[in-house]
Amino acid sequence: MWTNLKNLLGYGRSTSEVAKGRLHLVLAHDRTGLEGARLQAMRDEIAAVIAKYVEIDSEAVEIQIETKSRQTQLTVSSQLGQAKV
Amino acid sequence: MGRAIVITSGKGGVGKTTATANLGTALAQLGASVVLVDADIGLRNLDVVMGLENRIVFHVVDAITGKCQVQKALIKDRRLDNLWLLPASQTDDKDAVTPEEMRSLIFELKASFDFVLIDCPAGIEQGFRNAIAGADEAIVVATPEVSSIRDADRVVGLLAQNEIGARLVVNRISPHLVKRGDMLSQSDVIEILALELLGTIPLDDAIVATTNKGIPAVLEGKSLAAKEFHRIAKRLCGLAAEEPASGRGFFARIGRALGLSASPA
Repeated sequence: MWTNLKNLLGYGRSTSEVAKGRLHLVLAHDRTGLEGARLQAMRDEIAAVIAKYVEIDSEAVEIQIETKSRQTQLTVSSQLGQAKV
Repeated sequence: MGRAIVITSGKGGVGKTTATANLGTALAQLGASVVLVDADIGLRNLDVVMGLENRIVFHVVDAITGKCQVQKALIKDRRLDNLWLLPASQTDDKDAVTPEEMRSLIFELKASFDFVLIDCPAGIEQGFRNAIAGADEAIVVATPEVSSIRDADRVVGLLAQNEIGARLVVNRISPHLVKRGDMLSQSDVIEILALELLGTIPLDDAIVATTNKGIPAVLEGKSLAAKEFHRIAKRLCGLAAEEPASGRGFFARIGRALGLSASPA
């Protein structure tokens, strides 16, 4: 009951929530079949493309692969500076 | 023409053989003719779970290689009129047979039985390819753990590549752990794997005790696990099986709203 209350009030996640989060990430990678080094290379190329058009910190570009149902989604996030001319 | 259903999971030790034994027996109790095929060549176990280990003369590899007729290798379960076992070989390797040979064996069995249940070995190599070769549909067994679900997902992908539709059995759910937030719920597993649910088997001591004796739980008493296997068997036959029992009170509704309950989504 206490655990339920804590979860309800948002204090800490239950271990099942942790498991679910881990599975979403692991399965996203399993399903695409993209291994770590290839993923890193893809991130670097995406960062380079953005950097061609906008001032960015290439190191701070983050990519995330996540899965919902059987759909796998790629999210690229980056702070954008001024457009380059 | 009968239906060939492969029971598979990727990961070992999640309850494939127990599920095969109990579902096959429950289907036979419903009046269907059933043959259980142990496709785990080299590590046979379905015979001991069924309690038929002392009656093996020939096995699946003998039947495939023509050492005996298929009928000769079938063991009749004397407890029911219409239940048979085709045991695996204990001394051969997984590559003693090919997927093509398995496919034609299963096809032959489908002509004589309503259900051909194939107990798949763990893993995704040759043994798996043999086991799924003749299957029309699949039951994926997963326990509510990260490793089991990950492997199940891999297997679902491989089954899809082979155009075999899969339905899910969640095994060894412990309702109080789910309630406490320390076990993935049935709906979590369904959501992650995106599969149609056939049923959820609770963690049940009766399975350990009946397996010790070589008697499928569905033949003994009314344990929670046995009841659920009976429900799944009905669903497999297309008979309406009532929904799993779930609380209907105020707290159960709150629990469902919070996703804490083990009731179906």
